[in-house]
Amino acid sequence: MKRTNYLKGLRVILAILFFVPILLYFVDFRGLAPDMFNKLLHIQIVPALISGTIAIWIFQFLLALLFGRIYCSVICPAGILQDIINRIFCIGKKKKKGSSRFVYHKPHNILRYGLMAVTFLLFIWGSSELLLALDPYSNFGRIATNLFRPVAIWGNNLLAEILAKVDNYTLFHMSVQTVTTGAGIAAGLALLVFIGMVLFRGRLFCNTLCPVGALLSLVSRYSLFRVVIDKDKCIGCGLCEKTCKAEAISTKEFHVDSSRCVDCFNCVSSCKKDSIHYRFAPFNRKAKTKEVIEPAAHSRRQFLATGTIVASSLPLMSIYARRNRQRHGNGNTNPITPPGSHNLEQFKDKCTGCHICVAKCPSQVLYPAGMEFGFGYFLKPHMSYINSYCNYECTICADVCPNHALDLKGVEEKVTTQVGVAEFFINRCIVKTENTDCGACSEHCPTQAVHMVPYKDTTLTIPQVEPQLCIGCGGCESICPVRPKRAIIVKANTEHAYVEKPKEEEVLDIVIDDFGF
Amino acid sequence: MKRRDFLKTSVVAGAALSINFEGLQAALSSNTMTVQQAPEMVAVMGGEPAAMLDKALEALGGIDKYIKKGQKVVIKPNIGWDRSPELAGNTNPELIKALVKKCLDAGAQKVTVFDHTCDNWQKCYESSGIATATKEAGGIIMPANEEKYFKKVALPNGVILKSAMIHESLIEADAWINVPILKNHGGAKLSCAMKNYMGIVWDRRFFHQNDLQQCIADICTWEKKPVLNIVDAYRMMHQNGPQGKSLADVATIKSLIVSPNIVAIDTAALGMFNQVKKLDMDAVGHLSKGEAHKLGSTDLKKINIKRIKI
Repeated sequence: MKRTNYLKGLRVILAILFFVPILLYFVDFRGLAPDMFNKLLHIQIVPALISGTIAIWIFQFLLALLFGRIYCSVICPAGILQDIINRIFCIGKKKKKGSSRFVYHKPHNILRYGLMAVTFLLFIWGSSELLLALDPYSNFGRIATNLFRPVAIWGNNLLAEILAKVDNYTLFHMSVQTVTTGAGIAAGLALLVFIGMVLFRGRLFCNTLCPVGALLSLVSRYSLFRVVIDKDKCIGCGLCEKTCKAEAISTKEFHVDSSRCVDCFNCVSSCKKDSIHYRFAPFNRKAKTKEVIEPAAHSRRQFLATGTIVASSLPLMSIYARRNRQRHGNGNTNPITPPGSHNLEQFKDKCTGCHICVAKCPSQVLYPAGMEFGFGYFLKPHMSYINSYCNYECTICADVCPNHALDLKGVEEKVTTQVGVAEFFINRCIVKTENTDCGACSEHCPTQAVHMVPYKDTTLTIPQVEPQLCIGCGGCESICPVRPKRAIIVKANTEHAYVEKPKEEEVLDIVIDDFGF
Repeated sequence: MKRRDFLKTSVVAGAALSINFEGLQAALSSNTMTVQQAPEMVAVMGGEPAAMLDKALEALGGIDKYIKKGQKVVIKPNIGWDRSPELAGNTNPELIKALVKKCLDAGAQKVTVFDHTCDNWQKCYESSGIATATKEAGGIIMPANEEKYFKKVALPNGVILKSAMIHESLIEADAWINVPILKNHGGAKLSCAMKNYMGIVWDRRFFHQNDLQQCIADICTWEKKPVLNIVDAYRMMHQNGPQGKSLADVATIKSLIVSPNIVAIDTAALGMFNQVKKLDMDAVGHLSKGEAHKLGSTDLKKINIKRIKI
């Protein structure tokens, strides 16, 4: 008799509890999502690795060791996104073409462990490009920020239009500014890869390209709880194998590859004979029968092959990483990195381009880079003062960054961090070229680093920059009316400097008792 | 009674019936007699914003003179900066709250408040206290953060600025009240009633590119003039304007000036400003340019001003 199985239901509920807040947190364009949703980004594995949150390492390690790759089915937003894609694909299809379309495949160990090793080694050497490209969390972030968020905003705008007709402005029109071509393409491609891989091979991404999946598989191989087939009851019908998104169940060998199993429990639900279970089964390796000795040897060979390939590519990788660093250290145009990034190189090392800062920036001053600052900065956020500038006392980007690639100790540090310095080009300034008042730059300067001084013998005043007061917020550049080249432009500090807070002037007690007219 | 007498009497009676007793009624109800014509400008000093507004409007003959029943009213404060009220970057929220209430009490169909801000608009609306004040008083606070909220209007009398994109709420309004805060301004030198017009337009870059002072005067030629200008000088930013850095930039002078005459009110405000910081009228170019547009006079001697100290 088939027992009711709660595991799959539990997994789905937990996945929703993780996924929905994360999705909302990215898509939320009004700043309404509670701050605690941010914690769900911090427990993601790559951010935890980079930020050095050891508690999360231990938690994730124990979770995988105890229960297997729960992370992939419950916590990882990219994993759940793939499940949702799969679910949508299955709608209205017969089982055979839908949820039961999978077949067992051998693991691609060389690929997955090779890629993982290269990814992490490059990262250690200071080249985070590959990690940025493969990290599932960051990919999800880019998809959410650059694809889902604009869709939500367009929906909002439609509704806002309707509400405005009855003078209700709880919703208001917003524009989508920060989706750059590079970010849009990268997010679109990632989504297509997910869709393609899911449709043809289920969780293939998680078991080939994903460095987190590969890392977890090293632990989940030995997990205490795992899915096992009861050989005595099993009739070899293959139902479980066909529902396995990870394509990790071999009915022929009565074996479930726990290094690839993502604990979705679809197999447990599918079995009509109650012969596949998720239970405490430590050290339950493949039964040592004749058939399997050969694959065991095979896997050793694979391990050696992987090791050899990785080892032989080490010198190449290190050369690449070193060259990459040098090239961009000497580049002509450097990006203005967000406050809290401290310096360009450190930021490049730590940012994996999840774009949560881009999504959360209330001033929409952060833009994901294309190739304009080189491959090493691809998809990482930079400050662009074309339409906007960095709000003086705002620290949101640093508050939300799960990698701690942006890290500020409060508002005090923010208002004294100099991310760049305004440079004034007097020959382009309206006051000089047109002989009229302007002062837009000084108006927007929160520290009065840009202030107006008398110009010639007229009533006009012209801007002057006090670099030691400038924090590079871009207020001046964003508002300068001169075109095509603006008359005041912020030049990036590759190493952030720290300025004195504007001196507190004495508050005078000014009393007047006459109207003065 | 003769028929002729009867006819005479009825004509007189009819005429008497059609006479407007508003003046008398107002005089009776307020128990004062308007001896002379209502002043063209009222300046009040020494009270809280709402109390000063009361005094000023009373002296002008009541809000009903300016806001009629059923009208769509717009109030345009300065909400340019992400600053708290103490720092005097934005119009005083208490003043806005009192004014919204007055308009609604006068029978306005709705009162809308907006400004095209410089800093992030949501932060400005919030930090200034104006969003809360407006809502508490029963007004509507409307965004002005996107071009779609603005519509193009012609300015046939503009010297340089011949047309502008103006916020739709103003275009639809029956009456609007211009409520600037008096402050120093790095570009325009003085930010007051005329300068406050820059918050009703979308494309301010054009202003800065093409003679700021002239464009400020030009935008004030828009045919739909505010029924009143109310200058908030409760706190006045006398330096580092228009954004200000700290409390050291602010003088609390507890004043309010109200007038429909925009050039005169700015001239008066400049006089008040000059008691704290020296500022030449020539430097505030938009004043004489506004006068040239016949928007009002910089000669305050020509104007009937009532000054009230509380």
